[in-house]
Amino acid sequence: MSTCLEVRVSGVGFWAPRLPDWQTACAVLAGRAEPEAVARSRPAPALLAPTERRRAPDTVSIALEAASRACEAAGVDPVSLPSVFACTHGDGAINDYLCGTLASNPLLCSPTRFHNSVHNAAAGYWTIGTGCVKPSTALTAGSETFAAGLLEAIVQALADETPVLYVAYDAAMPGPVGEVSPSAGMIASALVVEPLKGDGPGVRPAGVGRCLRARVAPGAQAMPEASVSPGSIPHAWFAALPANSMRQCLPLLAFLASDAEGRMQMQLNQGCVLEVDIEEVTTHG
Amino acid sequence: MPAREGIYSMSQVQSVAEHEMAELIVTSLNLEGVDPASIEPEAPLFGTGLGLDSIDALELALEISKRYGVQLRSDDEDNRQIFASLRSLATYVHTHRPA
Repeated sequence: MSTCLEVRVSGVGFWAPRLPDWQTACAVLAGRAEPEAVARSRPAPALLAPTERRRAPDTVSIALEAASRACEAAGVDPVSLPSVFACTHGDGAINDYLCGTLASNPLLCSPTRFHNSVHNAAAGYWTIGTGCVKPSTALTAGSETFAAGLLEAIVQALADETPVLYVAYDAAMPGPVGEVSPSAGMIASALVVEPLKGDGPGVRPAGVGRCLRARVAPGAQAMPEASVSPGSIPHAWFAALPANSMRQCLPLLAFLASDAEGRMQMQLNQGCVLEVDIEEVTTHG
Repeated sequence: MPAREGIYSMSQVQSVAEHEMAELIVTSLNLEGVDPASIEPEAPLFGTGLGLDSIDALELALEISKRYGVQLRSDDEDNRQIFASLRSLATYVHTHRPA
């Protein structure tokens, strides 16, 4: 029996082209609203200085947007938060450019794009933009990226007894790599998780103040996307989101948005799942 | 559009070559909201002025190499002078273009 890891979700952020914030996503999920008819272009990361803003690629823009909104919802200063950034592919557009340039004329490689190609680009822009000097982590785990990043954030929150910002995002994968490892459009989500304290249930914004009880369990099969979510999820919710690799985050977000309690599993790696109970926060002691 | 003078100029008006270089700077560095015609020919490009930095210098050198075939090396002792202003950069590029 593995240890049960308990955290409170104190803030949620979300961005996708037709669901450009968490409130809209919640409203669409509840059937109270339709997704925006016209897909938005990427958000402008307002926290960056002009020099960084004009260099920031799509991946960074969407990650910073979701991260900022999650911190606002949690009511915490980003400066105080360690962060975990999870992205399945890194920046596919830049990787495609770099590969093409290296193959055709390697001396004409853009230094800006090169320095944006690292997997921790979003974490770097975030810490520059916020002035945060807390630890940051950037990771990928293929199709299990969201679960691996969530586990990392929860473990850091409990081990260091601090709120942690968790950001998960992916953009499109163009070019030859995209043919074997596809991803379309953009999705970014962010959570602030913190060690469970004696908070009681009460009036709160959707998705905030929920408890996640997570454990690593043996198991080979995570539940498919549509079946893990509670109740009846409007088709519009999933349909409004692109065929993006970070759809991995949707089942958990559907739980958080719907106020439902329940259990879900996410594939963690071969032979293991991350099993998460989503519950209301109850007073301890 | 400002009145144009010859290829090289000492005035505060952009020459044709300077305007072309200004457009290259704005486009290649994604300078949102900057009108190429508004870049003063003798104002500093780096630090103050447009506020460009060393990564921008590398990016500009790359674009100039692609567009004009002029190699600007990162270890050139004259870089501070070459990149001092729109005017100095345009002048250097147009006097070093391959025949």
